[in-house]
Formats: sequence, C-alpha cells, structure tokens
Amino acid sequence: MTKRERNWLLLLPGGAWFLIMLVLPLTVVFIFSFGERGDAGGYVPAFTLEQYANLPARLTAFENTMILAPIGTLISMLIAYPLAYQLAVNTSRKWKTVLLVLVIVPFWTSILIRSYAWIYILGGQGIPNLLEMLGIEGVRLIYTPFAVLIGIIYGYLPLMVFPIYVSLDRLDKRLLEASSDLGAKPFATFMQVTLPLSVPGIATGCMLVFILLMGEFLIPALLGGGKVFFVGNALVDLFLQSRNWAYGSAVAVTLIVIMLVTVTVYMRLISRLNTQRDDVSIM
Amino acid sequence: MKPEDYISKRKFMEELRRYQKGSVSRRHFLGVTGLGAAAVVLGAAMPGLRTTPARAATDIGDRVVLATWPNYHDPKNFEIFTEQTGAFTQVNVFGSNEEMLAKLQAGGSGWDVFVPTNYTITTYVSEDLIEPLDLSKLPNYEAGAFDPRFSDAGIVDGTVYAVPKNWGTTGFAVNTSHTGGKEMASWKDFWDRTMDDFSGRTMVHDYQLTTIGNALKYFGYSFNSVDPKELADAEELLLKVKPHLFAISSDYQPAMRSGDAWMTMCWTGDGKQLNSDIPEIQYVLGKEGGELWSDYYAIPKGAPHREAAYALINFLIDPEVNAREVLAHGYPVADSRTNALLPKEILEDPILYPAQELLDALEFGAAATLTDPNRAELLARFKSA
Amino acid sequence: MRVYAICVYLFLYMPIAIIALFSFNAGRHASQLQGFSVQWYGRALKNPFVMDALQTSLMVALVSALLASVLGTLTAIGLQGMRGPVRVIFDGIIYIAIMIPGIVIGIATLIALVTVFDQINPWLAALWPEASEAPSLSMGMGSLIAAHTMFTMALVVVIVRARLSSLERDLAEASADLYATPFGTFWQITLPLIAPAILAGFLLSFTFSFDDFIIAFFVAGSETTLPIYIFSSIRRGVTPEINAIGTMVMLASLILLIIAQLILRREHKA
Repeated sequence: MTKRERNWLLLLPGGAWFLIMLVLPLTVVFIFSFGERGDAGGYVPAFTLEQYANLPARLTAFENTMILAPIGTLISMLIAYPLAYQLAVNTSRKWKTVLLVLVIVPFWTSILIRSYAWIYILGGQGIPNLLEMLGIEGVRLIYTPFAVLIGIIYGYLPLMVFPIYVSLDRLDKRLLEASSDLGAKPFATFMQVTLPLSVPGIATGCMLVFILLMGEFLIPALLGGGKVFFVGNALVDLFLQSRNWAYGSAVAVTLIVIMLVTVTVYMRLISRLNTQRDDVSIM
Repeated sequence: MKPEDYISKRKFMEELRRYQKGSVSRRHFLGVTGLGAAAVVLGAAMPGLRTTPARAATDIGDRVVLATWPNYHDPKNFEIFTEQTGAFTQVNVFGSNEEMLAKLQAGGSGWDVFVPTNYTITTYVSEDLIEPLDLSKLPNYEAGAFDPRFSDAGIVDGTVYAVPKNWGTTGFAVNTSHTGGKEMASWKDFWDRTMDDFSGRTMVHDYQLTTIGNALKYFGYSFNSVDPKELADAEELLLKVKPHLFAISSDYQPAMRSGDAWMTMCWTGDGKQLNSDIPEIQYVLGKEGGELWSDYYAIPKGAPHREAAYALINFLIDPEVNAREVLAHGYPVADSRTNALLPKEILEDPILYPAQELLDALEFGAAATLTDPNRAELLARFKSA
Repeated sequence: MRVYAICVYLFLYMPIAIIALFSFNAGRHASQLQGFSVQWYGRALKNPFVMDALQTSLMVALVSALLASVLGTLTAIGLQGMRGPVRVIFDGIIYIAIMIPGIVIGIATLIALVTVFDQINPWLAALWPEASEAPSLSMGMGSLIAAHTMFTMALVVVIVRARLSSLERDLAEASADLYATPFGTFWQITLPLIAPAILAGFLLSFTFSFDDFIIAFFVAGSETTLPIYIFSSIRRGVTPEINAIGTMVMLASLILLIIAQLILRREHKA
C-alpha cells in the first residue's frame, strides 16, 4: 500500500459521511429551491425562479438578522473585552481558573431555560415592576428587539470572553512593563501594545458569535414574542407552519450565500490586518 | 453508561493536567468547556439520581405521547391514568393545526394521540396521516351520546377517524380594568382599540385560521375567506396593527395573568380559566361572528404506542374523567353523558354557552383554509414584517 | 475594573439565581412564588420522560462524539499528506460545515433524508421476503447521531489538524529512519502527541451534541432529547420541574468540576 493509497483510505469514511450528511442535504435544498409548493404543502418538482423572486417578502427578517447580529456581536465584544482583560492581566493565577470557569458555568444550563428566566426578569413583574416602584411607569421590555438583544448578548458572552482572554493571556507582561518603563501612559500602552496584540482574539470571538447569531432562532422566538423575526424564525415557520419547502429552501440558500460572502470577506480583511493569521481560524 | 467506560479517571486527570501545564491556548478553552460535558455524564451516572418508573409496566407499555393544545387538560387526570395503567403521558403542546400537520407530514412525529380540529380531519385522511379508529378498543365511545354538530367531522366517508373531545368558540379576552368603562363587543372594537389605547397590550394567535379570520371579520367578510382581494384587506389591517401588538402567540394565559397583556384572542376555555381566577378579565364573542369549532382525539398513522393510545383516549372520554376535564379546562363538551355529571353553573355559564344570536353568527373553519397557500403565506408575512 | 467584573458576573448569574429560586417553588405556576418545597426535584427524577430524554441525550452525545473523534482524526491525518484538489475540496467542505447555521443543517438534513427514505422504503418493502415485516427507514436516533457526527467531525478535524501541523514532522521521520513500521510510528509517536487535541475535540463534540436543540428539533423524529423536552415543556408553561432539572444539571457539572480542580491541585503539590 502506497502512502497515497493509505491517505485515500483514511479520508474515505469521513469523506463519505460529509457527502451523505452535508453535500447531499445542501444539494437537495438547492434543487428544492427551484421547485414549487405542493397542494397540501411540502414540495413538488419544478424549475422556476419564483421562490427567489418572492424573497423580498422576507426582507424584514433578513434586515433584522443583519442588523441585530452585528450589533449583538459588537456589544458582546465591548462587554467581554474589559472582563477578559481584567481576568488575563489583573487577576492572580489562583483566581484566574476559578473566575474563568465561572464565566462558562451558566453555559451548562440549557439556553432554553436561561432565556425563560429572562422572560420573567424583563416581564411586567421583573424590572418594569422595580422601575415602577422608583416612579418610572410604563416601561415595556419583554417581546421587544431590546429583549432579544439582551438575550443574545447574554447567551453568547462566554464565547466572546474566551478567545479574547486567551489572546491577552499570551501577551508577554514584560512588554507592558517595558512600555511603561519607556514612559508610555497606560492608555497609550493599551492602544499601542495590548489592543493590537489581542486583535486575533477579538476577531475569533466576533466570528464565532456572529456565525451563531446569523442562524439564531430560539432567542427571538422566546424573547421576541413572535414579533422580532430572524431569518431562522422565518425558516422554522416555512418548514413547520406553512409547509412551503420550496420557498423555505430558497430562503436557506440565500442565507448560506450571505454568510459565505460575509465571513469570507471578513476573514480576508482580518488576515490582511494582522499577520498572525493562524489565530484567526474558526476555532 | 458509566463515564469510566470510555475514559478512565486517571487518564482524564492526566489530560486535564496537561492543559494546566501547557501555556493557556485555544485548546485550553476547549478543555475547560468540554469538562462541563464530562461532568454532566458523571452526574447522570451517579447512583440515586436515576430512578425507575414507580411500577411495572402493564401490557400497554409505560408511556403514551399526546400532542395537544395549551391549558387543555386536567393534570390530575394524567396522574390517575398513570396509577391505573402504569403508563406516563407526555404532553406536547402546539399553537396551530398547521404546526401539527407539518410535524406529521415530515414523518416520525412519535405521537400516539393528537388533537386535531374539525376542519383539518379530511386533510389528514387524504394525506394518509391518520388511523381509522378501532371502536372495539374504545368502549367508552357511544356515538349516540354526542351532539352530531360537534362529532360529525370525526367521521369521513362512514369511517370514524376521530372522537370528539370538546367544542368551543374563538373570541377575545379583555381585562376590563383597562377599558375605561367602554364596552367591547366586536372584532372592530378589538382591532381599533389595539391601535388606540390598548397599544402594546394586545396578543393575537400564532395561527392563520383565527388571526386572519378575525381580521377578515373587521371588514365583515367570511371567517374562512380565501378570496385574494379580501385577504389583501385583512393583511393591510394586520400589518397596520402589528406595531401595536404585545406578542403573537397562542399561549397567552401567562401574559394575561401577569398583567403584561390586557387583551388577547382567546378560546372559550382559556377565557373561562382566566375569568374564574381574575374576574376583571372577560370573554367576548365578536358580534360580527368568528369561529365555532370542535376538537377531536385521533391516532396518527404509525403511532409507536398504539395500545396505550387507545387506552388514553378511552380513559379521557370516560364521562367521569371528561367531567373533571371540563371543570379544569372550561370548554363545553358534546357528550350528553358527561353533561349529566356537570354542575348547573357550568351548563348555564355564558362563557361556555353563549347567547344564541352570538352563536348563530359563528362559522366552522373550512378545510380549504388549512392548505391554502395564500393564507399560510399571509400569516408568515405578517409575522416576519 | 473590579466593580465592572462583578457587574458582568451579576448579569451572568441573575437568571441562574432566578432558575434556582423558582425550582423550590411550592406552587405550580412558574411566575408566582408560593412557599418553599423540594417536590419538583422528586417529580423530575421520577418522570420517565425526563430520565429518558436525559438518557437519549447522553447516548447521542457519546456515540456522535466518539464517531466524530475517530473519523475526524482519520480525516485530519489523511489530509495531512494530501495536496491538490482533494485537499481543497475537503477544506471547503469543512469550512462550510462549520459556518452553516445549525438551523439550515437541520432543515436540509430533514428534507434530504425524508426524500431519500421515501424513495428507499418501497424498495425495501418490495425486496423483503415478508412485506409486512420489511424495515422502513425513518428519522430518529440514527439520523440525529449522523447529523451531530457530521458537524462535530468538522470541529475535530480543525482541532486535530492544528495540532498535527504544529508537530515536528521530523519526529515521525526520525522514527521511520529507525525502521519503525508506519503503523508503529503512528501508534507510538503520532497518536500520543495528538491525543490531547483528540480529547479536546471529543469533549467539545460531546458538549455540542448534548446541548444542541435546533438540529435535533428537525432530525430527531420521535426521539426526545433533553433540550427538546425542555422546549416542549416551556411551551406549555414552565412548571418548576424544568427549573429543577436545569439546577441539577448545573450543580452536577459544578461539583464535578470542583472535585477535578481539587484533585489537580493536590497532584500539583505532590
């Protein structure tokens, strides 16, 4: 057996798996997106561009997703960065692990249950009730885009903290000392040393969170009250309510294309921005 | 399934230590994250955390899966069923008939019993998704005991596919402490007030039949209309109302109870339940009309626990059990045997049994609405708008 | 800065506290506290659907994580020696697998498998000696494991490859010079070196599968995993039982983590 044959053999099972469970399904979705809806729902073979022509009917869902996903990512990053910095730079070794673990522990409770807790906190008996006691009346939080934003930030914050922490932790402390020895102000040190070195972590975290947010369905469903619609919600509706597989497939194909383009462009930009390209891998 | 089976404790610790020793890296992150998963496995394997069902399973097995609607049963009855048969009931709740149909069409729903509404049954039959009932396994079913108005839809071409659960109406519930003394009596009031002083406080169903149907009623059209022009009017109204809605959901009781929502589209029983606990919440039938409906118990094709399904249906249509159900859910039943067991207040309750002139204006849902692509797409557009 | 960190932790733990608090609620409604009780813990543990869902989740997570670790490692090693179009194609597939939202994977898998099964099942029935007993393919545990394995395998490939490429290839070559067989080289040198990466991949896969709701929602057929059970319970109005389950899962993880840390610390000192 040559080395080449051996490699082929090694690739065979994984390749077959990807073929059946990824390439085949995506091909089916692609084919279905040119079909038509059956009389009682489902799919009827056809070749028509009607489903794509109909895409503007889901424009709001695409808009919501493409506005709230980047905003959510950005705010998560802004909240996560100081925390990661505090953990990586200003915390003793002893506490580091404990505090780091404490960031992930909430993650072990199902996102479903945690979101449900937010329904209570943001609902009439939660924060608005407290505000009322302070004399601020009529605040409505639950089932608004704001609630969805809180939910997604809460849900994905740990995914943002970690990569940033890792990149800051790798940072050589002597660099900071050298910088201050050379008379740089703390802020200048941060802008010129710390921040550039943590770019890979920020990039990785942002991408992780962004990818997950683009396909989000649960949090808007639970905290948006059926009013704040993401593309994910539109998809669930098309497959599980109106049973329009052809149109649903067209929406899915569009989402895939949008993501491929955004993420690829993003990765190009980042890798140009930063020579440590290795660190900007997806994991 | 012990964790030791796939990774020894020592090995696990060794690996962990490796992470600790090495500089913190991406993989450190993975390690820490994964540890949570491992911990969960260990937790599940801890003795004492697992219990076996309280009693040995009888011949119907130890479980039955019921797909039904929110707030639709007396939980006590399921406990009694478990005591009697050893079978636990898993209740899955749905918000619309479309959702039930979609799940069955996709195959492998895993349900044993489901609760379809009158107008959907012919579609289930033509799609070959529903099992003809073996009446010999339902000794509690007595065809003559039911008011045919609310039991006919279960029989398609002479075959019984579904037995009546209860019937009801679709109106709206309104918390009168916020109406400022102005009477709410019509769908026109419902939609107009939503855009006015009820802004941000109204809920509508996540369900094409009722949400579109009651919007059609605003213009005096048929509840079941599939006419493109009439649907366009309904869509315009819905899109105009949407910014004023609190939520679009078929599970509206929690929000009405907490006071977050003041008004909601509502089914008879929810109206009754809310009104009993919070008297300011009143149930109103729009005077223009709306929906009259009847729900049924049925068994989907390929139900995994068919014997248990029959046992559960038979149990639930037992007049005594059914009477307890009515007291809990507050919907009227078409079964004269059950009604004989119910107190007079229930049988004369104006929420369950509305005045004749209000009832006369109501329509049964039409089968065409279930599969009509325009109505489905209209609701989806409304939600995603 | 410290105050800021405390605020973030408060933000992270406020919902958790609410969950734990309501798990001790005596009443049935999740939104009104009505006295203290531990009855919901007992109920959750006695409920066969909860226990079954837990078992299904663990089973699916374990099997798919194992499959993903093995197949992903093989793929990563195979790719190491590959150049040209094959490698480009695999890179593309893995990139797509990781980037595509779970919801699209779930839906695509559902419609593809349902369509394929619809084609295959009549054949199976026709070819089977006794038509009434012919097996029929349907969505269920198999499709769920297959879908989870696909996604997590991509993760394993990425992780193991990162490790492989950082290894000094010279090491393996040195071993070959010493007349070790290729298999021996792999077994004695490469594998131990990439083992931490494989383990990390396994644990990540397990976590992903155990937590996944959205893919399972579409492809699990009649199987109920823990997240699916929780989702359907939430829709019928959360009883404190769900809060009890969440609290228990979290406590179990936390306790084990603390034990692991303690042991580690002691061994460090020793």
